[in-house]
Amino acid sequence: MDAIEPPGGTGTDTDVITENVVVTKRPWNVVVWNDPVTPMSVVVVIFKRVFGYSDNKATQLMLTVHHEGRAIVWSGQRDRAQAYCVKLQVAGLQSTIEQDS
Amino acid sequence: MVGRHRMFVRRRDGRVEVRLNDLGRAVAREAFGRVVAAERDPDHEWHVTLSAPIDPSADQDDPLATLTRQNETSTNAELAVMTLNEQFLNDAEAWAWLSTLQVALRATAVANGLLSDEKLAACEPELTNFIRTLQSFLFELAECL
Repeated sequence: MDAIEPPGGTGTDTDVITENVVVTKRPWNVVVWNDPVTPMSVVVVIFKRVFGYSDNKATQLMLTVHHEGRAIVWSGQRDRAQAYCVKLQVAGLQSTIEQDS
Repeated sequence: MVGRHRMFVRRRDGRVEVRLNDLGRAVAREAFGRVVAAERDPDHEWHVTLSAPIDPSADQDDPLATLTRQNETSTNAELAVMTLNEQFLNDAEAWAWLSTLQVALRATAVANGLLSDEKLAACEPELTNFIRTLQSFLFELAECL
C-alpha cells in the first residue's frame, strides 16, 4: 500500500496536531407523571407497548410513578426522547422530556 | 369474581371480542367523539390536555412532534369511532380503543380539576359514574392487550 502524505507535508517532519475534544452530552429523559385516575394495569400495558419493556420492568416503573409521583422511563438522544414522549401522550399518559441534570 | 360479565375478551385467534351492551357502546361513543372534537377544536375543554407541552423547558414545542401527536391521536380516535359497532377488534383497533379511552379519561379528570384522590372522591355522581365506567373499560381492555 502506498503511503499518503498530508498536503504540503514532507512525510517524516510534519507535526500532526490532533485536538481531542471530549464533549459529554447529557441525555434527555422521558418522564411520566402520576395521576389519580389512570388504572395501574393500563400504565403497564402502555410501557410494554411503547418501549417493549418486560412485564417486570414495566410494573416496576409504574410503581415508581405511583409512589413517587413521576418516573424516568427512558433516557437517551433528544429526538428519540421526544418521539417516545409523543407516543406516551398519544396513549393518554402525562409525559414530558427533560435534560438530565 | 365468579360469574362476572366480561366486556372485552381475547379470542384464541388474537382478536378482541367486544361484549358491550348498548349503554356501554353509548359511553364509548361519547368518549371517542369528544376526543375527535377536542383535537379539531382549540376551544374544546379537552383541547388543553391534548396539547400539553412535550418539553416544558422550551418556549415552544417542536412543531413536527406536535403535529405527529395531533395526527396519531386523531387517527386512533377516528379508528375507534369507525369500529364502534364491531363485535371483534384486531390488535391495532383494540390499541386505538385503549389509547382513546385513556385520553378521554385523563382529559375528563384534567378538565374537571380532578387531580387528587380527594377531589376525585368529592366530584358529582354523574361525573364519577362516567370516570368509573371508562376505568372499567380500560381495566378489562388492558387485560386483553
